Amino acid sequence: MNDPSSQRGQQQMGGSAPIPTTQAAGPVERIQCQWCQSMNEKTALSCWACGAPLDIANLVSESGWREAPRIKDMTEIHFGSSTCQVEGEIVPVAEINLGAGDAVYFEHHVMLWKEASVPMSVMSLSGGIKRALAGMPFIISVAQGPGRIAFSRDASGELVILPLHPEMELDVREHAFLLASHQIDYSYVRIKGLRNILFGGQGMFMDRFVTRNQPGLVILHGYGNVFERRLQQGESIMVEPGAFLYKDSSVSMDVEPQRLTTGLFGGASMNLARMTGPGRVGIQSMYVHHETE
Amino acid sequence: MPDPSSLSTGGNGSPTASKYTCPWCGAVSDGSSLSCPSCGATINVQAIVSRSGWSEVPGRKDMARLQFGKSSCQIEGKLVPVADMNLADGDSVYFAHHVLLWKEPRVEIKAMSLRGAWKRMLAGMPVIMTTAHGPGHVAFSRDAPGELLALPIQPGHSVDVREHLMLVATNQVAYDWFSTNVWFTTHSGDDSETHYPLGMFMDRFSANHTPGLILLHASGNVFVRQLKAGESILVKPTALIFKDSSVSMQLYFEMPNVSWQSWGVWGERYLWLQLQGPGRVALQSAFEPVEDDGGTISNASPAYQHRW
Repeated sequence: MNDPSSQRGQQQMGGSAPIPTTQAAGPVERIQCQWCQSMNEKTALSCWACGAPLDIANLVSESGWREAPRIKDMTEIHFGSSTCQVEGEIVPVAEINLGAGDAVYFEHHVMLWKEASVPMSVMSLSGGIKRALAGMPFIISVAQGPGRIAFSRDASGELVILPLHPEMELDVREHAFLLASHQIDYSYVRIKGLRNILFGGQGMFMDRFVTRNQPGLVILHGYGNVFERRLQQGESIMVEPGAFLYKDSSVSMDVEPQRLTTGLFGGASMNLARMTGPGRVGIQSMYVHHETE
Repeated sequence: MPDPSSLSTGGNGSPTASKYTCPWCGAVSDGSSLSCPSCGATINVQAIVSRSGWSEVPGRKDMARLQFGKSSCQIEGKLVPVADMNLADGDSVYFAHHVLLWKEPRVEIKAMSLRGAWKRMLAGMPVIMTTAHGPGHVAFSRDAPGELLALPIQPGHSVDVREHLMLVATNQVAYDWFSTNVWFTTHSGDDSETHYPLGMFMDRFSANHTPGLILLHASGNVFVRQLKAGESILVKPTALIFKDSSVSMQLYFEMPNVSWQSWGVWGERYLWLQLQGPGRVALQSAFEPVEDDGGTISNASPAYQHRW
């Protein structure tokens, strides 16, 4: 950054997305986005990299949950040589204009429309066919630039735009990611025990996104509203597993049965996920259990 | 029929002139009210168009009032909007019975008799098309967050609507339906199954001599674009809301470049609907997954295949 002293942000997360350069003389004043930490020109109304409004104060509850920024209709964000426009406010659409050489990957059922000229391929995943969604095999599709392709999901909610700076690792609830840019490595992990809570099975998959040297972009679709909080080292919060949306990989997640005793009948039990910091945790207010295998 | 070019240009409406032409529906009004009396679009609102050319449905203020014949309709609510109709004596509307929200006792409800056309099935239940006759209030809504789309139909024009999306139509609108001819048959072993990604039928609404109005309910947000003659786009079949009858459609199978062996567990294809202009097409952003069991395709309606 040209002038770190002008940064308004409290938290620095190692690196930042590239910003458009200006030719202004003297020290260039910048605004740091409070959501993704990217630097923006002072006159910008929304963040160049994540679309968060820069002219609206953060909405933080008394308990410390912050609302994910409500992206204004038709906001445009940038990644690599590509752009993404966020359209609509009930079930928002992410419309990508891929630059040549850029690519995005996604689960194919979230494609809404595309130009016929955008080449499509399938990502090689070790063991990918062991996962399935609603009886369909789990496949990660790749769209190559140049050209346009648009994505949306099946229920009302909001898009969570997460630019990933180099050396970041993010864990995401399965099937919640809408798309990720090609600079980001994709893998997934099986969480033992968690799926017992939801379906009585063996575990639940979590998608893991890791950046290397280049920044990249992950877009999630959360059902209902999305809230985030940053846990300090050792700080814990108990979360309903169905509401979990994403976390930094530095946050640990452990299933803990909660014994509910009634005195007379011995009681029942429920399970919650204990999330322990340091790092971010994101939850969604409406959750839908996909029948997954 | 609105001037096609006005969809993306914001129209030529001017609130100061004595006449205001709605950029969305083309209706001419005096511009003195807050919203277009024909479709409810906010007067003089700037068209919101994506860089790729999709227009959002023009902003509609809560409680916007539409006029049709001697009757009127208020659109109430923003999450799951309600169409609250004030039917004048002699006016009537028709609708599928499951969208009725409430009515005044004096509003008369009758089954509609239309050469057996209403025997189509909705989730295993027969769709009973019903009519409501004025005078009185009757209101309609559907079951998912979304937008209410007011589509005035001018004499001589027709639109094709994906089945089960019509909320209510005025009696001036003629209803017909046609086979989509969009299907494919898969087989695995001795079993074969025919899939209709768009449904077996589509509804066609047209106006003969008098303009009419239909209201559609779409899930999520609605986007409309005008395709030029010969211009085409690939859309998810279940995301289609309506198209002008001049827009042609066919199946489009896209085979991605697959570098790994899927052992036949996946058909290795994406299924699209190719729409070709000229005319308007409209999409909803919330849509069900397209049904495709991945089996070998043994037969299909006319389809284009592209292999990367």
